Amino acid sequence: MSTGGGKGAHAQISENNIIAFGIAGGLIGIYAAYFLVDLIGGYMSFLAGLGAICGILWGASAVRRVSSYGLGTGVPSIGMLALGIGLVATLFGLAVGGIAGPIISVISAAIIGYIVGILANRTLGIGVPIMEQSMTEIATSGAIIIIGLSTAMIGTFNFEEVVIEVIATGYMAVIFIAGGLAVLHPYNANLGPDEKQDRTFATAIEKGAIAMILAGVVASINESASGTLTILIGLLIWYIAFTEFYKLVKRDAYKITGSGLLPSKEELE
Amino acid sequence: MEPLTGMGVMALIGAAATIAGASEDLESDVGSQSNPNSQVQLAPQMMYPHRIFNKAVSGEPPSNALMCTIGGTVASVLMSSGTSIVLALTIGAILAAAVHGTFSVSAHLGRSASQKRFKQPVYLDIIRSHVPVIMGYSFITTFCILVVSYLMITVLQHPFPLPLLAFIWGITVGAIGSSTGDVHYGAEREFQNVEFGSGLNAANSGNIVRKAESGLRNGIDNSWFCAKFGGPVTGIAFGMTVFLSGWITVVFDTTKGDALGWASVIAGAIIVLVLIIWNRNIEVAARNAYGPYKEDEKAEVAA
Repeated sequence: MSTGGGKGAHAQISENNIIAFGIAGGLIGIYAAYFLVDLIGGYMSFLAGLGAICGILWGASAVRRVSSYGLGTGVPSIGMLALGIGLVATLFGLAVGGIAGPIISVISAAIIGYIVGILANRTLGIGVPIMEQSMTEIATSGAIIIIGLSTAMIGTFNFEEVVIEVIATGYMAVIFIAGGLAVLHPYNANLGPDEKQDRTFATAIEKGAIAMILAGVVASINESASGTLTILIGLLIWYIAFTEFYKLVKRDAYKITGSGLLPSKEELE
Repeated sequence: MEPLTGMGVMALIGAAATIAGASEDLESDVGSQSNPNSQVQLAPQMMYPHRIFNKAVSGEPPSNALMCTIGGTVASVLMSSGTSIVLALTIGAILAAAVHGTFSVSAHLGRSASQKRFKQPVYLDIIRSHVPVIMGYSFITTFCILVVSYLMITVLQHPFPLPLLAFIWGITVGAIGSSTGDVHYGAEREFQNVEFGSGLNAANSGNIVRKAESGLRNGIDNSWFCAKFGGPVTGIAFGMTVFLSGWITVVFDTTKGDALGWASVIAGAIIVLVLIIWNRNIEVAARNAYGPYKEDEKAEVAA
């Protein structure tokens, strides 16, 4: 369903700021968690969850821009594809990168995303002008989300530990789908011609907080990370973001009513 | 494992899957997800505001994968800290239903608010009455999928961990619900006012039935209708998928030799073939019985 008809989505916050916020916030959160867990203690692992929320906000913004070209039901498909790219790039980056793992993951996700974007546009002929950029952005934000939530779960992004404690236990599935839907859901949930950027972003942060809470639930059984703080901060962010979302719904909706009949014919004209 | 035990477990898995399929379809019908959603979303644009719950959580397979994976993750965390299995699966399903509730609320509020220029109001009583129903169905779906996954891991020795297996079954139940049951709502219920079999004429786009037997129609009315056919059919489709795909390796136990392994592959191929022929026959019989829509030529002459 098209909303902008190819005109591009209206934005209050410029996309460059969001990209910078996503990359910088994401990597700072991940690295801060990595070092502070060693220095201070496992409960600092919540910082990586905050980093993942930065990545989620960026990803949701990229989905919002590409979706306004009328992709409709294709949005979840390209989102899942891009997150798959992010997952592959994450595993590659963490395996070869050591301490620089997240940065290498982000760079390789950007490269693979860009190549897939070119293939989609040139070979498959999808013909969305910003396809290359969007695939690059969603894949890169996907890598940040996956590393962020993994680090929030186990307190480190060390490849061996990620493989044993996140992938072999199957918790990667919840990272993939909760992180993925946090990126795909916000624009989808606010779909319509009167969609507003701030409302979509409030949804993204709310869904990101849910992903963070889930990472905290898993962290509660890992000794190297602490779940309590991650869950509590996640709940707080969820509450604030949901309140903000509801406030924006009240601002944007035609009418909010407890109950009532449909608008009359005169009202519709 | 005793073949008889295996068959018993398969029967239990099949029964749980049947319930999961039925509740999955009814959950999506209450919230107008997937196939019917495009018309519910379109209706206000065509000057037909409505009181039908409008939610989309990135498509049915991902949204079901989300709730099943959350259930699997929470259950797996609880089990590894020593909680009893039934309690772990139940708490996992409750949390999954709660998260699904938040996704439903944000989808309905957000989509209604984004249709301001078409004057689609947000009815709070629709949220209060529908979200508990949606959460109830999603609890049943998640719990049954977790039972299926847990039995597959512990009894049938499936190598995947619980969250991953729940993720895969979640995607599957969503895909089957989306392709099987939703058609009943999207094609029949939304367009009850046009002649059966007439298809969706472009002129009827968005002109969904908005009035009920009494009062204005909502999502719960739709699930009442779909519970008569769409839901059970989805349940049978999903139950059969789970049962038949597991049954062949239980009867022809692949661990007992390559010959039995090949026998299970052949049995699977035969089942697929029989189903294709059977489906084709149903389709041909239905077309012969009800036929394509024929325009009423006499009425045109009279006009």
